[in-house]
Order: sequence, then structure tokens, then C-alpha cells
Amino acid sequence: MDAPLLIIIAVGLFVVFAIIQYNRLVRLNIQVDEAFAQIEVQLKRRADLIPNLVETVKGYASHEREALEKVVQARAASTTASTLPAVAAADGMLTNALRGLLAVAEAYPDLKASTNFLQLQEELSTTENKVSFSRQFYNDSVRTLNVAVKTIPTSFFVGLAKVGEREFYEVEDPTIRNAPNVKF
Amino acid sequence: MSNFRALQSSNRRKTFFLLFFMGVLVWFISYIAISAFGGSGAGVIPLAVLISLVSVWGSFYASDKLVLRMTRAHLIQESDNPKLFDLVQEVCIASGLPMPKVAIVDDPAPNAFATGRDPDHALIAFTTGLLSAMDRDELQGVVAHEMAHVANRDTLVSAVAATTAGVVALVSDILMRMLWFGGSRNRDHQGNQMPIFLAIIPLILAPIAATMLKAAVSRKRESLADATAVAFTRNPAGLRAALEVLARDNTVVAARSSAVAHLYIESPLDASAASKLFATHPPIEERIETLRKMEANPS
Repeated sequence: MDAPLLIIIAVGLFVVFAIIQYNRLVRLNIQVDEAFAQIEVQLKRRADLIPNLVETVKGYASHEREALEKVVQARAASTTASTLPAVAAADGMLTNALRGLLAVAEAYPDLKASTNFLQLQEELSTTENKVSFSRQFYNDSVRTLNVAVKTIPTSFFVGLAKVGEREFYEVEDPTIRNAPNVKF
Repeated sequence: MSNFRALQSSNRRKTFFLLFFMGVLVWFISYIAISAFGGSGAGVIPLAVLISLVSVWGSFYASDKLVLRMTRAHLIQESDNPKLFDLVQEVCIASGLPMPKVAIVDDPAPNAFATGRDPDHALIAFTTGLLSAMDRDELQGVVAHEMAHVANRDTLVSAVAATTAGVVALVSDILMRMLWFGGSRNRDHQGNQMPIFLAIIPLILAPIAATMLKAAVSRKRESLADATAVAFTRNPAGLRAALEVLARDNTVVAARSSAVAHLYIESPLDASAASKLFATHPPIEERIETLRKMEANPS
């Protein structure tokens, strides 16, 4: 084999290598976008459940105004949030408000035994799990992307792919990581 | 070594080495075939590869449909069991996998399995006994274990292991027959060959070794699925409690056969009948112990 041929092969191999690294970065970046969209889908699902929950609790514990009010306010805030930190902050507020409301509900046996509340219970636990799993999947995706952005060889192609590190989705609640399985 | 990330990479590495040894075994048996039987021995190898590929590939490609029939499972819709679908959707969100087909096996013995050639053709099935015996957290652990098999492409891995084991078994079988029926006659044409009697012992041992390696691959994939399930749910306690329910239960699924044994979360075969080296699953106590360590030591 002569030298020009070897050079052509070497350049060809490098181009293939570059394309693989570039595509990996772009793919990881898209995965983060998709994971964030999934969080929003699940937050919307949860927001849609809340009017029903609030009505049910009101029927049995109408004087627990404070807890109810908190949930309604947090829900309103969550529907307007759009940037990641805002969504995460609203999400944290609503998560805590919901937890507060459900803690209050513990004191009302009639409410807990009502068919409406029992039906809501499975809906609420699966929704809460879906919300926290979508956060977890988002953060795992960000972690994979950030590692790729920082480590060789993908780090060489960061500028070319116009991909950078992304921020984690952090909910202001220290117990959130230990509570993927909420029991009501 | 007790967090799920370390366990995942260790089990992946072990699978790789086991499959590598299976490849070495195929090479070894081919070597015996050629050196002891000459030209006719060499002809056996492509034949065995072809038969093995054809027989395994069919069951791999149509695994979701075939297994449904073999296990008498029937597909269900979301309206049939909304709670189970909720759990599966949760794990799909946690893993980023597409929604699989969900099936039920009418059987009082608690068990579950996953199959399908790729995540887009995945099928996961649960026995009615499992659904009634477990609470939400435990079921979530089982769903996560099955979806972990889908994520780790274990149908493909076991198809590769079955093909290689099949090649070794077929080559040894054909060569043994050739020995019996005097297939070594072209020895006269080619001098300088391995004495034929030296080939007998490897021919007997190789298929046994292949079966043991295949079982070892299956065991490593089970441990990997347990670790991956924890990666999905971050809740080792749920799966651990589920395995304890399975360990306490002595019933076994009725529609069982060794052909589908490796699929289930708990081996449907009588554990005492098979020695540990041939078992498709690690001992359930060992799996519970590993999950306990993960509980004590979250990543």
C-alpha cells in the first residue's frame, strides 16, 4: 500500500470517528430535552388531578382552609412556570403542599373511607411516582450528557455540536430522593 | 461493590467473559473435529452452525408470540388492569423504555417473565398468583426486574448463548455418531492426525461445559436485571420484599418447561433437581442478600 492511500484511509477513519462522537452528543442533548418534556407531561397530569382532590377533601374537611389554599395556589403557580428552575420550584411547592394536605386528610376517617378518595388514592400514588421517576430520568440523562461533555473523546466535539452541560432538576425538598414510593 | 452501578458493570463484564469462553469452546470443538476427523469433520461445523442459527433465530425473532403460546399467557389492555398498567408506565418513565405489551398467565403460582427481540417488541407477563400475592412496592420491583431484562436485551443475549451451546452440542453429537459408525474412514488418506480415541473425552465434556456456561450467562443476566431494576426504581426494598414472597411460596407454574425456564423471575423448575452449576437463576437467598446490601448502601 502506498502513502496517499494510507492517508485517505486514516482521514476516512477519523471522519467516521468524529461523526460518531458528534451524533452521541447531539443524541444525549435531545434525550435531555425529551426527559424534560416528560416531567412537564407528568406535572400536567398531576395538576389535572388536583381540582378533583380539592373538591373531595372540601366535602369532608372544609375548615382545613390553609392546607387547601396552599395546594390551589401552588397548582396555579405550576401552570405558569416555563423555565427549568421555575418549573422545579413550582413542582417542589406543589409536592410539599400536597403532602401537607394528605397529612391533614389522615385526621378524617370519613374522608379516607369515601369511595371518591379511595379512587383518587391509586391515581395520586401513581402520579407522584411518575413525577418523581421523570425527574430521576431527567437527572440521569443530564448526568450522562454532562459526563460526555467533560470527558475525552466526546469533549473535543462539544463546540462543533453546540452542546454544553445542562442543569439538574432539583426540587427543594431534602426527602425527595428517598421518597419515590409515596404511601397515602 | 454493593451499589447498583458497580453491580451492573460487574455483571456485564462477567457476561462478556462467559460468552467469550463459549466462543473459545466452539473453536476448541472445531479444532477437535478437524484434527481428529479431517475433511468430513470440517464439513460438520458449518452444518451445525446453520442448524443452530436457524432453530434459535426463529424463536428469538418471534419470541413475543411464541412464548405467549408456550406459557398460555394472554395479552391484556389498560382497562383490564389499570393498576398494573400504572406500574408498568411508571417503570417506563423511570427507564425511558417504550411501553411493552402486557400479558397475564392464569396460574396461582407467583411468577413473571419478559421476552421480545428488542424493546419495541417487548412483552412482559405476570401470573394471577403474583398479582394477588404482592403489594404495590413489591409489584413495582417485579415490573422493574422484567423491564430490566428488556433494557439489557436479555432475549438477544440468551439467543446468542443458546446458539453457541447448540453448535457445540450438535458438533459433538455428529462426531460421536461418526465415531460409532466409522465416519473416520478418511483417516487413511490423511496421515498425521490426532488419534481418534483422544477425541472422545472432549466430545463428551464439551456439550456439558457449553450447557454450564449457558446457565452461568443466564444467572449473570438475572443478577444484572436485579441491579438494573434498582437503577430504575431506586428502591431495593421493593424487589427484595417481592423475592421474599417468591422464596416463601412453594408452588410452581403449571405450564412449565425447561425451554422457557430462564425467562421467569424465579426459576419454575424444581430447584433441588438441578445442581447449582446448571441452574438458570442464582439462589434466591443470594439475590435477597445482594438487595439488602444495596438497601444499606445506597449509591
